[in-house]
Amino acid sequence: MIDGLVQFVTAIGHLVTPESLFHVAWATLLGIIVGSLPGLTATMGVALLTTLTYSLDRDAAILTLICMYVGAIYGGSRSAILLNIPGTPASAATTLDGYPLAQQGKAAYAMGLATAGSALGTLVGIILLVLIAPPLAEIALEFGSFEFFWLAVFGIVISGQLTGDASPLKGYIAGILGLLVAMVGSDGIHAHVRFTLGFDALNGGLGLIPAMVGAFGFAEVLTVMWRQKAALVSGSLGTDRSIPRLLDLWRYKFTIMRSGIIGTLVGIIPGVGEDIGAWGSYAVAKKTSKESDQFGKGSMEGLTAAETGNSAVVPGALIPALTLAVPGSAPAAVLIAALFIHGVRPGPMIMIEAADFVYLVAAMLFFATLAIAIYGLTLTRLFVLVLRIPREWLMPVIFVLCVIGPYALTQRIFEIWVMFAFGVLGFVLRQMKYPMAPLVLGIILGDLLDKSLRRGLTLSNGELEPFFTRPISAVFATIVVVSIVAGLPPVRRLAGRMLGNGARSTAER
Amino acid sequence: MRLDSPGADRVTALVLFLLGGAAAYGGFVMDRLEIRQIHPASIPGLVPMILGAMLMVCAVALAWSTRRAPTGGAGPEQVSWRRFAVTLFWCALYALAAIGQIPFAPATAVFVAGFILWFLWTENDRAGSPGPLVVVAVLAFSGATAFGIAALFQYGFLVRLP
Repeated sequence: MIDGLVQFVTAIGHLVTPESLFHVAWATLLGIIVGSLPGLTATMGVALLTTLTYSLDRDAAILTLICMYVGAIYGGSRSAILLNIPGTPASAATTLDGYPLAQQGKAAYAMGLATAGSALGTLVGIILLVLIAPPLAEIALEFGSFEFFWLAVFGIVISGQLTGDASPLKGYIAGILGLLVAMVGSDGIHAHVRFTLGFDALNGGLGLIPAMVGAFGFAEVLTVMWRQKAALVSGSLGTDRSIPRLLDLWRYKFTIMRSGIIGTLVGIIPGVGEDIGAWGSYAVAKKTSKESDQFGKGSMEGLTAAETGNSAVVPGALIPALTLAVPGSAPAAVLIAALFIHGVRPGPMIMIEAADFVYLVAAMLFFATLAIAIYGLTLTRLFVLVLRIPREWLMPVIFVLCVIGPYALTQRIFEIWVMFAFGVLGFVLRQMKYPMAPLVLGIILGDLLDKSLRRGLTLSNGELEPFFTRPISAVFATIVVVSIVAGLPPVRRLAGRMLGNGARSTAER
Repeated sequence: MRLDSPGADRVTALVLFLLGGAAAYGGFVMDRLEIRQIHPASIPGLVPMILGAMLMVCAVALAWSTRRAPTGGAGPEQVSWRRFAVTLFWCALYALAAIGQIPFAPATAVFVAGFILWFLWTENDRAGSPGPLVVVAVLAFSGATAFGIAALFQYGFLVRLP
């Protein structure tokens, strides 16, 4: 453990160069601006920036992407507080108390509190990343084809379960669609070409970056232009201070610590993401708070819990991304693609092949956190100006980047078509309440699931038994089965009735 | 019909069922590479078959779940299908027709200028049509954006532009 912390401090020293600090400064600021603007998500920011970092060296490229990720998740709180519209889905819980605070004339203070919560949440996550990633990678070294198959299934099922709007069914469907997309092109074992419908351009499969840029970039352009314009809260920032009182932070120290841990743990679960981290932290804070009646009416504790929770997901999501090559969130999925582009192979071997890289990522997160703290507390008024950028001027520029970014990767017009198709598909699916996270996770995990199942069956000579009897496989299989059964409507109704009766009998007593 | 209504879910269920069936059938008839003497459990069509079957099951469950779903849904959202259609058409014209046929920078300048001016003209009902100064600003912005992005990718990232 001490060794890990020493390596973390060494990695911080490695990044203290003018060039690195310059990248931290511009990429975090850009991330905050992207996150602030309703409709522009962290995933879109990271996906578009990936296309702009091809020519940078490995460390500089990953540093800018991580700063974009951290900045965008944090930036979402600006519009959540001032517009009552979350800049990114991660800030949905922030609107509940952030906007009422703004209406009370405390917008500046609310933004300061959100800044402190985000920074502290990320710091909690960074510490857990440094502590958890190395042992997790070591455990993952024990994984064989059977375990990796279940890991992929576990990711899709849990992601579908937790991100599905009202029922997990649409989450599962999105996950299966993602897996089917991953089946297009050469298969990973025999290089047999599947489902290309005669198009040679599909032989290599559908690229993740064009698909993500379409599903999160172009789909957002369509959504933003489709919806009505949002209005800024009247009364601007209010007259309150923007730097949070230490007393407030001290009062909420347990909320911050707990939300940081919840956020990080949610981040570790494959494909779940920042919004669930925020909602989970918010719900627990509401349950345990002495001022729970204030939640939803402008509670500073509620705002702190939501912002700490969503920001802590970022380091949490990078834990499985680095050690298992399984993303904890949608932006982390793009980061995995970027890691491959820049010659880093995430997965169980990372602690053997590039152990220092894990600590370098933690140090990158640390610098991004410092940057959001500095920007958040000093540039409050600039972010209000950013929210006034007319969408008619911004969206065509975003779309141009959506077109040229995927093209630049392979210099094929075909990538633009893929981006366009995924944009329209992403828009339709989102309006039909299909979550995007399982779809993305399916595209990422499809190859792993396919190869692991077929390799496992070859190793066991067609027997299914090892998939259920090996210890780690058995644990994964049990969780998957229980999750699916628990999501079935009759079981949910029964559980609801039982919990309802339990609650009534407790109340009667 | 709203996209998040039970009616739309029923149509989607049918589409997903057909897609699942097509994937399962495609996996079933896929070459089993017997000539290469691969293990029968590692045939390329195995996972597509399973996924297709699972998608069919989910499609049936989706159709079944719409029986009791409320038909009203949430209140009407403030949206404009006209704005959506114009955006989709203009983006499609640029990305699918113009790129590859017209040099990137001029195509981009026309796309950005057309996009901004169309929405300024049609959406700005309070202030009326944009004045000549605004038009000049839009043209300057479009030109700067187009040639700036083109230069960044061509000279910064050494990309051969379409």
